[in-house]
Amino acid sequence: MMPVDASVVATDVAWRVGYRWIIKDISLQVTAGEVALLVGGNGSGKTSLLRVLAGLNKASRGQVSRHGGVGFVAHHSMLYDALTGRENLMFVTRLGRGRDPARVDELLQQMGLTAAATQRLATYSRGMTQRLAIARALLDEPGVLLLDEPLSGLDENAAGIVADVIQRHRDAGHAIIIATHQLIELVDRATVVGFLVSGRLAAWEPIDGRDASGIMHRYRELAADD
Amino acid sequence: MTNGFVAMAWAIAAKDLAIEWRTKTALVSSLVFAILVLAILYFARDATAVSSFEMAPGVLWVTFTFAGMLGLNRAFLLEMENRALDGMRLTKATPAAIFFGKMIGNLVFVGFVELVSLPLFILFYDVPIWTRLPILVAVMIMATLAFVSVGTLLSAMVVRTRFSEVMLPVLLLPFLVPPVVSAVQLTWRVLADRPLAEMTGWLSLLGAFDVVFFLLSLLLFEAIIVE
Amino acid sequence: MTRRDKALRTARLGTFVTSAALVGVALVYVRALMFTPIERFQGPAQKIYYVHVPVAWSALLAFLVTGVLSVLYLFLKDRKLDLLSASSAEVGVALSVAMLTTGPIWGKPVWGTWWTWDARLTSTLFLFLLFIGYLVLRGALTDFDMRARYSAVLGVLALGLVPFIHMTVYWFRTLHPAPVVLKPDGPSLPGVMLVTLLLSVLTFTVLYVGFLMQRYAAAVLEDVREEEAAHGLP
Repeated sequence: MMPVDASVVATDVAWRVGYRWIIKDISLQVTAGEVALLVGGNGSGKTSLLRVLAGLNKASRGQVSRHGGVGFVAHHSMLYDALTGRENLMFVTRLGRGRDPARVDELLQQMGLTAAATQRLATYSRGMTQRLAIARALLDEPGVLLLDEPLSGLDENAAGIVADVIQRHRDAGHAIIIATHQLIELVDRATVVGFLVSGRLAAWEPIDGRDASGIMHRYRELAADD
Repeated sequence: MTNGFVAMAWAIAAKDLAIEWRTKTALVSSLVFAILVLAILYFARDATAVSSFEMAPGVLWVTFTFAGMLGLNRAFLLEMENRALDGMRLTKATPAAIFFGKMIGNLVFVGFVELVSLPLFILFYDVPIWTRLPILVAVMIMATLAFVSVGTLLSAMVVRTRFSEVMLPVLLLPFLVPPVVSAVQLTWRVLADRPLAEMTGWLSLLGAFDVVFFLLSLLLFEAIIVE
Repeated sequence: MTRRDKALRTARLGTFVTSAALVGVALVYVRALMFTPIERFQGPAQKIYYVHVPVAWSALLAFLVTGVLSVLYLFLKDRKLDLLSASSAEVGVALSVAMLTTGPIWGKPVWGTWWTWDARLTSTLFLFLLFIGYLVLRGALTDFDMRARYSAVLGVLALGLVPFIHMTVYWFRTLHPAPVVLKPDGPSLPGVMLVTLLLSVLTFTVLYVGFLMQRYAAAVLEDVREEEAAHGLP
């Protein structure tokens, strides 16, 4: 049942806080089966761009169109500390397409959280919280996945789980955008890379077999031009 | 099939109440606060000049108002802790459903605090109103509805500011003048066993306030939660 | 013409309007003190009436303008409306202070008490506190879109609240002098006094407009500076 026409398209998107433009002149397109890496330093606008693409922040200019529903893993977990892992997911389910406990349990298992499902989120480690946040994003089987630093705070094992999830969704025809510093773990899974420098998309190009250091080299080149 | 409006609002309210029931911080604080206010105000008078009966209506509503306010702040602070409000906005729940859900949660919370403090009030202030309880409860429901409509909207607003705990009373209390004064007037008439005809004026004021501010709050809520 | 130039022009014009209104206030007072008869029952204390009533009128006008502009802002999302409505609220708060000080000065000799919980007094007190809350809220929000939206929401709510507060305190009890000008069967104030009062109301309305123009110009200049600072950043 994967949406084959999943895509996210931004046309001339800009977003500002007060009079400060945080991101500007952003046009991009990610379609089914593509995984885009967003590379940029702190404050380059990666998080703001993802929030605008997800529809949490309204673009001050330009348009965003999304097909196939959006799953978003943000910097904050968007979960409740006082609820258990399972309750958190059940709550989101109730605000979506009905209640399907089977889907919740399936995701908990995929993320290796079955044993912790009845514990409160407050007792979770950073890595467990992050995996639950990813499960949360996948609940409604979205065609578009937006991930903000999905590997931050994860150990090797958990990072492996997440990387597999990304691979699987790519193969199933999802459109995926990942903002990350952890290139080494993710570069193999990506098809495109975008470089954000001071809120602008300095380049948007295929990975072309480059490895993490190749990408970083290109980033430094672009950042130096700015 | 997406769940319906009512189901979503109820899911949000149920989630809030489950969390509240589990932590009990705000609930216990509000209850203890209500009992303390009832007790302290009993002594805040010259016992030879003012009977506790005369003070009772005012005391009741001051208690409800301040105890309820403790609960309101909590409702949206909860949504801010891990930016869970963003999570709700990403779902299919409309702003109206979110407003309804939060409002129902607050209504149950404040209603619970009121129902627990009411018998204590009757006991402490020795007001024998058991037979007239239904009309008093009706007044309580109407006034609480007014309080919670505006309160839910304003608490969603102040959690985005610094010093939200101070800001909520400053913004909310002016809006509570009509419902609280009406409720006190009505309670006074209920306690004095006045005929219903003497209450219709205040009842209609309270009713009109409920309708106007419920609709305004519902309509304006969207402007509060978008970014 | 740049925004700054326009704002400076508004400021100059505002200064002119304010000065003219202040001269008007002085003239109205000369008329009120020297050429208007002393009220029979209240004595000379009644003279403060010619300040109190107009100042109360312009304060309420200021709040009404804030409320109406708030409604418009939520539909049009025009930044100017927000700045204007905030400016009006601030001027309204200042005028309310004048109203709430002249009231008791008049009330003491006439009613024998500085303060009374009469309907209009109480309504305006709550309104005054509400708009202080409005200004405090603005101060607590940093992002200007959010500030504009939130204060507009509060402005709309305030607009809805006014009739309810008024009715509440009116029913509670009232001993304020009943309205003497706007009555269905015509004003009951003697002609000379009425003319003085209406002149004063007119003057204070102009004074409000002058204040508003100056405050608005200042708000725009502040905004322009913020914009320049933002563009100065890399």
